[in-house]
Amino acid sequence: MRYRVQTAGISLALALTTLVSFSAGGADREKMPRTKQAAPLELARSAAPVLWQRQKVDSQGSSWPQTDWAAFSTLAAVSTPPANGAISMSVPVEGDAAKGRQLAFDRTRGGSCVACHVMGKDTPPQPGNVGPDLSTVGAKRSDDWLFNYVYDPRTYNANSIMPPWGAHRLFNVAEIRDVVAFLKTLKTAHSFNDPQENPDTRTPPKETRDNLDPTENPALFSLDRGRDLFARTSAGGKSCAACHANPENSLKTWAARMPRFEARLNRVLGVEEFITRHARATTGDEFPMQGADNIALSIYLHNLANGETIQPDLTNAGARKAAASGRALMQRKLGQLNMACIDCHTRERQAFKWARGQYLVESRGTIAHFPTWRTSRGDIWDIRKRFQWCNVSVRANDLPPDAKEYGDIEMALAELNKGEKINSPGIRH
Amino acid sequence: MVKFLMASSALAAAGLLGMRSAIAAVWNKTGFESKTTAEALKTLGVSGATVSREIQITAPEIAENGAQVPVTVTSKIPNTQSISIVVDKNPFPLSCTFEFSNGAESYISTRLKMGQTSNVIALIKADGKFFTAAKEIKVTIGGCGG
Amino acid sequence: MAEPMKIRAKMEGDAADVKVLMSHPMETGQRKNEKSELVPVHFIQSVIATHNGKTVLDIQWSQSIARNPFLGFRVKGAKAGDKVTISWTDTTGDKSSIDTTVAA
Repeated sequence: MRYRVQTAGISLALALTTLVSFSAGGADREKMPRTKQAAPLELARSAAPVLWQRQKVDSQGSSWPQTDWAAFSTLAAVSTPPANGAISMSVPVEGDAAKGRQLAFDRTRGGSCVACHVMGKDTPPQPGNVGPDLSTVGAKRSDDWLFNYVYDPRTYNANSIMPPWGAHRLFNVAEIRDVVAFLKTLKTAHSFNDPQENPDTRTPPKETRDNLDPTENPALFSLDRGRDLFARTSAGGKSCAACHANPENSLKTWAARMPRFEARLNRVLGVEEFITRHARATTGDEFPMQGADNIALSIYLHNLANGETIQPDLTNAGARKAAASGRALMQRKLGQLNMACIDCHTRERQAFKWARGQYLVESRGTIAHFPTWRTSRGDIWDIRKRFQWCNVSVRANDLPPDAKEYGDIEMALAELNKGEKINSPGIRH
Repeated sequence: MVKFLMASSALAAAGLLGMRSAIAAVWNKTGFESKTTAEALKTLGVSGATVSREIQITAPEIAENGAQVPVTVTSKIPNTQSISIVVDKNPFPLSCTFEFSNGAESYISTRLKMGQTSNVIALIKADGKFFTAAKEIKVTIGGCGG
Repeated sequence: MAEPMKIRAKMEGDAADVKVLMSHPMETGQRKNEKSELVPVHFIQSVIATHNGKTVLDIQWSQSIARNPFLGFRVKGAKAGDKVTISWTDTTGDKSSIDTTVAA
């Protein structure tokens, strides 16, 4: 799907452009006293590539789903239909247990039941434990309860993190009957021979690689590129280094104070969007967000701040409002799977459990290493790409990288991670 | 899911490149294009390798992703000449061959792509004879992705 | 243009421990790009490591070596200050090479 350049806020931005255009313009700019409050920024255009599109593939060959989930909520808009309550079923619910078993284990239909549940002796490899062990569910629950819980768990638990398989059209009614027929066969507790197969005893992964070892982390190639870009003179005869001498000192804490609320845009600017807008207004370089040059400069600037503690400026009302908005957005149920950030990434919900072979972690301790090399993807992700991937994983349409909502969440996460030490570029699975 | 495909024209060119230098061994085109472990081993001249405890394969029991699985092979067999690594369930099982000379220890460390959970087989040539060891590496299955 | 490499070599006991990271896509030939076109097969197939000019490792790789390949090996009898060189050739004929001196 395509996203037009966001039009909301453009008129305001245009009005402000005149204000900054002189400060961004050549010789005039040289005479302007530089102040910390007014880093030159280009404000009118999108910082993302125009007609921004969802990523299609990554460098490792895995594709990103391209489905348009417009019927369901995103971080930008609430559109998920409300829950409708129980469906009256004639009991017993009849179905094909063999087909149901296949559906329960089918990864192409939303991750399969086994992503979250142990399901008896036939459980496929690496089941998760986000939801309860269902190995004896067939001996405990009525047909009607089983059907309606799968159809829409919100009938029984408004905050359930289980997807409403029927209400959100992941399975049709006949398929859910088959799944129920399979669930009814589950009557014997399951014990694992291999403790690594049992999600309750499996060893959580621990990242032990040295992210700053140049023979370990390929993102350090990008750090070199960022350092070169910073020093190099652009076609217009300008360079970052010309204004920012001794970046090792002058920019030592800069990235640790990001993101920040930018009054001229009336929203939060992260390091990557700042790079795009500041370069346009100064050196004239075009470094669109999530391009290789932008990532390289982001890594360089974060790396300069390594060891500094994350300290976002929350002294202004705009920043505090953005952080509050970010916290609220992290509670919003998103996408066809109907999951909120907090469902998987808070201790109170399902953090430190397994979604199949993936270990879920909480939001604290997870941003100081960005941008980060993802070995499973063969790519470097900035924090906004991490958000985009999470959105797509719960089958919600993602947003352009410069979306206001991502800025709000980035601010909320910076606040949550206050005091954590920057350590970039990171390396993760 | 890591995918493999041999483009025959590119590899024909590659075969020629293998001969570019007197010192480099000729690239084992037939071996690397073999679709089964047995076929690949045949191209290396192996028949009946001896299972040896003098070969150590160091790798995670569970690899967090198949895109990059760190594998280290150490051979304590005297006069080790080469180490090959075979990923049994990969579409093209033969992954790499390392030939040692002039003081190189019979130890190598690399990172492999693995399409799925598989036995990883180390094959050692020493004094013209073949020795082998294997280790199963599980590849993690992702969460919500379809 | 030669792709960059990172190399480190340092003495550990009586051997030089060498680690190398090469920047290379190691394309399998089956990945599709943003335009849904197959990206042609493109991987490093030959690597030579030398110690003071003598070949110590002669390596053949397939496309199953991970993107940005890593290589670790050890050279017995090496000394601090010795020269270690890594050269690779890929399926398109591109070559790259890097050298370093062994650190104490």
